[in-house]
Amino acid sequence: MSIPITLNRKDFVSDQTVRWCPGCGDYAILASVQKTLPDIGVPKENIVFISGIGCSSRFPYYMNTYGIHSIHGRAPTLATGLAIANPELSVWVVTGDGDGLSIGGNHLIHAIRRNINLNILLFNNRIYGLTKGQYSPTSRTGTKTKSSPMGSLEQPLNPIALAMAAEATFIARSIDAHTQHLNETLMAASQHKGISFVEIYQNCVIFNPNEWIGLDDRRVRDENILYLEHGKPMIFGKDMDKGIRLNGFRPAVVQLGNGITEDDLLVHDETSTQLAFILASMEFPEFPAPMGVIRRVEKQTYTDGLMNQIETARQIKGNGNLRTLYESADLWTVTAKDQNGVASKQTGQLSLEVDEEYVDELDKEPEVTTAMQDRLIEDTIAALSPKAPITIDVSASLAKAVRQMNTHRIGCLVVTDAHDKLVGIFTEKDVLHRVVGLVEDLETAVIADYMTPDPIALKANLPIAQALHEMHMHGFRHIPLVDDEHRPEGIISFRDVVHHLKERFA
Amino acid sequence: MSLKEELKSERVSHLDLSRFCQIVSGTAVRQSLANMRQNKTNVCLITKENALIGILTERDVLTKVATNPANLNRTVDDIMTANPITVTPDTSAADALWLMDEKQFRNLPVVDRDGKIKGNMTHQAVISFLAARYPVEVLNRPPRPDHFPHKQEGG
Repeated sequence: MSIPITLNRKDFVSDQTVRWCPGCGDYAILASVQKTLPDIGVPKENIVFISGIGCSSRFPYYMNTYGIHSIHGRAPTLATGLAIANPELSVWVVTGDGDGLSIGGNHLIHAIRRNINLNILLFNNRIYGLTKGQYSPTSRTGTKTKSSPMGSLEQPLNPIALAMAAEATFIARSIDAHTQHLNETLMAASQHKGISFVEIYQNCVIFNPNEWIGLDDRRVRDENILYLEHGKPMIFGKDMDKGIRLNGFRPAVVQLGNGITEDDLLVHDETSTQLAFILASMEFPEFPAPMGVIRRVEKQTYTDGLMNQIETARQIKGNGNLRTLYESADLWTVTAKDQNGVASKQTGQLSLEVDEEYVDELDKEPEVTTAMQDRLIEDTIAALSPKAPITIDVSASLAKAVRQMNTHRIGCLVVTDAHDKLVGIFTEKDVLHRVVGLVEDLETAVIADYMTPDPIALKANLPIAQALHEMHMHGFRHIPLVDDEHRPEGIISFRDVVHHLKERFA
Repeated sequence: MSLKEELKSERVSHLDLSRFCQIVSGTAVRQSLANMRQNKTNVCLITKENALIGILTERDVLTKVATNPANLNRTVDDIMTANPITVTPDTSAADALWLMDEKQFRNLPVVDRDGKIKGNMTHQAVISFLAARYPVEVLNRPPRPDHFPHKQEGG
């Protein structure tokens, strides 16, 4: 009998300090993964993250799950072994365009080809970030980098087409900046049995910050992304006024209207190999970037096949014996020779010289380009003039809580313990979803049982961007502010944030 | 670029509108609340012959039902806000937000010219817009705010 699993995002946040550059797209992907995992229906102890080497490969440290930061390019290999040894596990491989497609290209292809039950997340930023900005296997021809000052001469690899060539049973694409789409894509990948290959366009803000222009800007992205839905015609555009039609063997963008209707458009079919190849070939900006589930088919996984073979062998030959197997091979004895160590010519000392140019680069202030970006980063939460919180003791009754909210005409109470420390938050949403018509006697019910315990709280000296982050990622409408002792000192709502940004420019 | 300029070029239909549940006039408050819970929404739009005639929000539940449980047995029409102001999907997002602030609305139903309800605009739509508009500043932040990096990483 299985016990229902109730996990939340915090269960997946590790105590490690996250070390990526300020503004790195990896943060958004991490937040999405931590948001999605509680809902995939797998106990935490059955989840493993395996990475290779690179910026994205630091991922396992930041997930409070089992994890292996493995060898360059070899994450799929370790993951293959693990997934076969324990089919109960939900195994996630985190790799990048360098680690996955160059150093570990072969390992990736063969893990996909074997239909191992893995979720492979390939963060594609089209640059080597950890080594400070050399062109990668997905960099566009002509890309000028530190290792290609006159422009790369190489044809980039197409990760989706590569996964198709290896007959991946699940292929999807998403982008770091589109939280909701990324969450849905991760969920779909987790539910697929067999290999799930997800390419995630990811922004390297330091070495390749303009790579996804047109796709990661909220104002224009819906004009340039083709959101795929199985069985639905391929319509796109902010006003859903364009579509994809097949002219002979070539896909073409057409404007709807003037005799062109939905009936003329391609209809997405996740099971069509041919269509998946067409979608893989559609590169932005010539075409809208296809995103979502490109291919999803059911096939026997490697593990299931292997287990069947073992079972069949057992039926035919009976249980094996390790010693018999060992001794059935040719055996010989290796004898020790006189061994003299070879002296190293190197001193083994690390260079202590500092690369001045690199240090200068580190000290540079991040570039801020618009007034809105200034406000998001430079204005602190204190600038919102947060209201004083209305607090209530954790032992108070629901009746008192409701009275207080109505007296003060507010939608949110901050719950404190005997030491005046923040222990919970209780909102009008809780009144609707957990109390009214559900609780018989509000006088005897205690707020502690109905509040959200241990809510995310912020300090007033953080930038407004942090408040927006929490509100967007988690749908919070109120965030309590606390002092160094975790005592509530203010409360902000999503309306306060919008209002501030609105009035700053009035 | 100011928020007004940011939102001017967007239509309400371009925003991520909030979920709502639709309920027909005459439904009991108790049932309406159950529907809201089931749909995990905080807003209920009440229709009569498919036309929007009222709105019931979590604030109404707090002020009118939590303190007076007898209202659970009345019809939703008795406690809803009747004839809410609406906007069309092609209204500029800036106009919609300014209207909300001017009228102190927390919800703004979006209804097309045929009377079909398309969604419900809240301040969350603006938050989500800004998050996706400025991912580097807003989305790309570590799981714990005190871990915010102040310089570049690298091998």
